[in-house]
Amino acid sequence: MALLPFQYNVRSLFVRKSTALLTVFSTGATVAVLAGVLALQQGFATMFVERGRTDLAVFLRPGAGSEGESAFPRDRAEILIKGTPEIAQDASGKPLAAAEVYLAIRRFKMDGGETNVPIRGVQPMTFEIHGDDVKIVEGDKLTPGRDEVIVGQGLVDRIRNCRVGADLVINTTPFRVVGVFESKGGYRSEIWGDADRMLEALQRRSFSRIIAVLRDPAQLPELTARLATDKQVPAKVMDERTYLKSQTGGLSALFFGLGKFLAVIMGTAAVFTGTNAMLSALAARVHEIGILLSMGFRPFAIFVAFELEAILIGLLGGIVGCVLVLPLNFFQTGTTNFNTFSEVVFSFRTTPMVMVTAVVFSMFLGLLGGAIPAWRASRLRPTEALRRG
Amino acid sequence: MTFKLIWRNLRAHPIRTVLTAGSVFLAVFLLCFLQATVSTLTSSVEKASTRRLWVQSAVSLFVNLPLSYESRIASVGGVEWVSKWQWFGGIYQDESNFFAQFGVDADTFLKSYPELSIVDGSYDDFSRTRTGCIVGKDLADKYGFKVGDRVPIIGRIFARKDGMPWEFDVKAIYASSSPAIDQGTLYFQFDYLRESLESGAASGQVGVGVYMVKIAPDVDPTRVMSAIDLMYEKGPQKVQTTTEAEFGRQFISMLGNVPLLLRTIGGAVLFAIFFAVLNTMLMAGRERTRDLGIMKALGFSDSAVFKNLILESLLLCLLGGALAVGLAKVVESGMQRFMSSQFPGFAIGPDTMLLGLVIAVGIGLLAGLAPGLRASKLLPVEALRDEG
Repeated sequence: MALLPFQYNVRSLFVRKSTALLTVFSTGATVAVLAGVLALQQGFATMFVERGRTDLAVFLRPGAGSEGESAFPRDRAEILIKGTPEIAQDASGKPLAAAEVYLAIRRFKMDGGETNVPIRGVQPMTFEIHGDDVKIVEGDKLTPGRDEVIVGQGLVDRIRNCRVGADLVINTTPFRVVGVFESKGGYRSEIWGDADRMLEALQRRSFSRIIAVLRDPAQLPELTARLATDKQVPAKVMDERTYLKSQTGGLSALFFGLGKFLAVIMGTAAVFTGTNAMLSALAARVHEIGILLSMGFRPFAIFVAFELEAILIGLLGGIVGCVLVLPLNFFQTGTTNFNTFSEVVFSFRTTPMVMVTAVVFSMFLGLLGGAIPAWRASRLRPTEALRRG
Repeated sequence: MTFKLIWRNLRAHPIRTVLTAGSVFLAVFLLCFLQATVSTLTSSVEKASTRRLWVQSAVSLFVNLPLSYESRIASVGGVEWVSKWQWFGGIYQDESNFFAQFGVDADTFLKSYPELSIVDGSYDDFSRTRTGCIVGKDLADKYGFKVGDRVPIIGRIFARKDGMPWEFDVKAIYASSSPAIDQGTLYFQFDYLRESLESGAASGQVGVGVYMVKIAPDVDPTRVMSAIDLMYEKGPQKVQTTTEAEFGRQFISMLGNVPLLLRTIGGAVLFAIFFAVLNTMLMAGRERTRDLGIMKALGFSDSAVFKNLILESLLLCLLGGALAVGLAKVVESGMQRFMSSQFPGFAIGPDTMLLGLVIAVGIGLLAGLAPGLRASKLLPVEALRDEG
């Protein structure tokens, strides 16, 4: 069966430039909202998860959902670090494990307002474990035993007193900022200091969690099962990636929920607009359709032609929407992660996934919007259509 | 006469009219919803009391204050009484069932909150029962909690040594008349938690999340706040004392910039819908070129023709907008239940409704402008020649 050449659709759009353009922009704005929310979700989720290692085990107190809720008294932490044979060792035979202190502390943002910034008390072994994943980009390394901190790159321009040389007061103890570090994941929104000095400043007695490199990641399930029921030092063990995933669930789900909600409501409005535009295109082209039909084109070909035109508008709208959200890629934003109730800094990420989703969604909107007009067009009778318009 | 003409024009293209009004309807409904969320966040702060002060750690939300602070704070001049609050952070059955639980002092809790009323059960029963709890009306509706029920809560910060969930006996259900305090929280006895921790039945440290300080009516809150802060300036835990309103403001600011995010989305919605309505009105104006020519030839003035199109656009948008505001109001109570855990006290207030209508009118006027101007400039002869 003969279909109308695609060029017909393109030319038709040009004939009704202003209508087509307005429809494209209105669809584009709809798609941009969806893509923006998706980019936010992607930026947040991938930032956490992409760094997650599967050979790195995280130990928490049984029942704790996050490191903020977890606690290990010093003696138990030592038993776990020294007495777990699955933990790998460094060249000198020391276990590649570190006990860390974690707390979200109140800080003032540069632009006013307060937020919760995670501070992490670390041990020298923490840096051994992370290797090149954590790099000092400005100033010096942390010296164990001193009242010093290093600050994640993400905080430098957002939080007060986070520049090298500044004094950052934790409870009543001032800590000197000696360096800035960069890291791919969530660590770049944190402040790091010596674990023992942090415990002292915070008047705490317990570490929050233990991280350890495993000799063989395959031993993890067995280790998890053994420590879950251990009498002396029970612990909840999982790999870092699993842990990080569990820390992003709340906000990720909220972004997805918001995205879906907006997609449905605004998508419906976009379908209405599309239908309107195509109906007006139809009204102006009744005569033309009469000619096409009398030339021997089947009603189905007319239907396809109208749908194609609507989908084309959708495609253009999708592209406009993507172009509108592209600049967001350079934006860094901070928001509170519900699972930890502390601020994380991340960038919007308009990943190919986001773009493809947006464009496909937009074309789908076009398809729906074109349905009624295309159906109407295909039902026209050639004789009547020729007489009209 | 004008109105009749406009109405006929709208009815000449029923599908287009319905779809355009429908787009405006969806946009205004969505905007009402976003605006209500933002104003719910802020109204809880505005309605908060300035007679209640909150003493919390100046270091972190997650740091407890020692029990010994209670009597020292109570000794500050102008303080009527001090009431302890502790965040429990437990889970009911499944992680997705999130609601807040606090350990509170039964003897001072209710009298600190005249906004609360007991709608079922008895507060005295709660005071007398160590394992007792009171639950908000919304929470009771959501999970079907009734007086006499036993609610199991899995402790995450405070885990029981026997590995079992905590159990709280529902003794009363409360309602709140102010958005400052929600109806979706479970309050249990602070002493039950303290005794369980002290006896070793549960693990965790005994401490107080915040001290609520009730001050006498004629006392200057600023003076009390600085007196309390000064006491712990040198530690062991620095404190920060704020009014309830400021406490709420801080908390919202810590949530991140939710209002900004929602407003940005709202802006994009407006943008999209404006184009949609403008599109419709341009189409309407173009198709009617001939009609407009006839009107002009009959002696209608330029401004009458202009008004005609503007009013048509206005009517179309107002129709959609008014329906949307109406529907938003109708589904308000359903939404309240749905959002009670995240946004307690969600309401479509008069400000939100007004905003919805103003936006509808604004879009209508703006979108009618372009075709209206074009129509008023048309030359009758040329317009009559148009094939439409």
